[in-house]
Amino acid sequence: MKRLQKAAVLTRLIDELRRRGSWAGETHVQKAGYLLQEVTGVPLGYDFVLYHYGPFSFDLRDELTALRADGLVTLEPHLNYGPKLATTPQAEKLQKNFERTLARYGPAIAFVAGKLGSSGVYELEKLATALHVTKELGEDASVEDRAKRLTEIKPHINLQEALKAVRRIDRFRTDARQIAARREAVH
Amino acid sequence: MAYVNAVKAVHEIRDPIHVFVKLDAQERAVVDSRFFQRLRHIHQLALTYLVYPGATHKRFEHSLGVMELAGRVFDVITNPDNVTDEIRKQLDPLKNASEADRSRWRRTLRLAALCHDIGHLPFSHAAEKELLPEGWDHERLSYEVIMHPDMQAIWREMSLYPEDIAKLALGRKKGERLGLEFSPWEEILSEIIVGDAFGVDRMDYLLRDSHHLGVAYGRFDHYRLIDTLRILPKREQGSEDRPPVPVLGVEEGGLQSAEALLLARYFMYSQVYFHPVRRIYDIHLKDFLTEWLPNGQFPTDLDKLVTLTDNEVLSGLLASARKGCRKGHVHAKRIRERQHFKVLYERNPTDVERNEDAGAAVYRAAVEKFGAEHVRHDSYRQKGGVFDFPVLRRNGEVVSALALSDTLKNLPLVSVDYVFVSRDKYDVACRWLKREHDRIIEKGVEEEDDETATEGGSADQADR
Repeated sequence: MKRLQKAAVLTRLIDELRRRGSWAGETHVQKAGYLLQEVTGVPLGYDFVLYHYGPFSFDLRDELTALRADGLVTLEPHLNYGPKLATTPQAEKLQKNFERTLARYGPAIAFVAGKLGSSGVYELEKLATALHVTKELGEDASVEDRAKRLTEIKPHINLQEALKAVRRIDRFRTDARQIAARREAVH
Repeated sequence: MAYVNAVKAVHEIRDPIHVFVKLDAQERAVVDSRFFQRLRHIHQLALTYLVYPGATHKRFEHSLGVMELAGRVFDVITNPDNVTDEIRKQLDPLKNASEADRSRWRRTLRLAALCHDIGHLPFSHAAEKELLPEGWDHERLSYEVIMHPDMQAIWREMSLYPEDIAKLALGRKKGERLGLEFSPWEEILSEIIVGDAFGVDRMDYLLRDSHHLGVAYGRFDHYRLIDTLRILPKREQGSEDRPPVPVLGVEEGGLQSAEALLLARYFMYSQVYFHPVRRIYDIHLKDFLTEWLPNGQFPTDLDKLVTLTDNEVLSGLLASARKGCRKGHVHAKRIRERQHFKVLYERNPTDVERNEDAGAAVYRAAVEKFGAEHVRHDSYRQKGGVFDFPVLRRNGEVVSALALSDTLKNLPLVSVDYVFVSRDKYDVACRWLKREHDRIIEKGVEEEDDETATEGGSADQADR
């Protein structure tokens, strides 16, 4: 995907997250971007590594800063937390110029935002790390094994929470497959 | 006369920024190594001296300066009076470390700072991405140097672990790619060197470049800033049920110094590092190196790399400039005779409103019209994270810097886009662009929303 196509997808993702009640800080967008790429197959092309709140891409972080440098995204500070991200009227224009790109990936963006919009950073951390361990151990690994691995990587997450996160990511992946299949059928 | 043959315990090196850089005999062994001495011959700012004649300083003195500042920051943030109980609980070395452990970490940090640029290619950042094999960059070369048997012997003598030095020198972003794992403590220490907001690499190069170039933009009160640095908890929305992340922040009294640092960075980027003539010289140098180097790439073999400095490249460049039959002649001649390409197009808000990638559209059209050999494109958008760090208020509350500071909230970000054209096409190209401008910008929009189109040939140069 080219730079501006990616910009259209990311700004749409921020819009959709906010529309569904998300704080839409950088960490929220990171986790949503991870699921968008790894589960719904939107080819953003980022490498993710485990970081403070789970999978994180330094390239996506750079891209979000570049979007601000280009006047497509702004920050809304908050006294106690990291800032929220918001798109600008310029981003709206950009999205109009990328109708074909957004027609292709819009349903996946709406799906991910719909699933994650109400989640705070800790919930997103559990969910995204559950996906990470699923990729690490393989799809055939049991829910229990993956949950145990999750607690090893993130000792502040207890086993009950980990089990819940792994089951949630399995449902997420099942639903996402239908979105990806529909996209392939249409485009 | 018992003092005559005594080994000097502390060496002092005169420095225009920090007055004295002090190091002990063991640290001196690193400075004396062939890898570090090579930095005496690598310009800090590549060919910038062709624009700002004073910019002839080298990576050598910058690396010494980074080491000096890293030690100062370590002393401030680990001072027990400056560490809260919440942070002490989270970071073991602050809770349990013996004096020997503390001293070992301090030394590891200083030497990591000293070695953070030790793998730099000739002429620093100029186009390392294109001139190294896939998967290599100067940070990976630095890693290889730190792990080299010559250096391992020095680390062993000091009872230090080379992996620790590599981690702190490279930081998490680069270190993860090399398979290095970071504890929260190691991450804090690496932030002291390479951090986006308070990295001493940046502090030193802003002050030093500013000094040598004769511009005031890069100055800020680094004494005050360093004195007010603290390790503080950072919280995100919806993370109240988990431990906060410890990161570098400042006491409230240091907020203005932090603002000054970040403003200095913005001004230096926009006035110096992205000066269009400096950028086009980098591109001409890359064009030269692509033809001049064997197979168009720098060696990654360290024994070969250590013999290759700016001096060897410059000597080759001048020889190529003199004789038409030598590799890279055309590009070398442009540099030697200062016949660099000129700016045909520069990013501007009116065009960007119509087409976010107006520069790429102009570049593609100009290549079609005048041929790729006459046109170059250079675009860069600021990287790194949001400048939002925790601030310790006088009442003990820890809050977001962005919420306290209108300056940080409104800090501009760097975004540049230049299209350059050769001098012999310049006049005709300017007339052509004036005529065709609107059509080019509009056409570019349609092309971008096409998944089958390939990326433009932009020379998106690396960050400093």
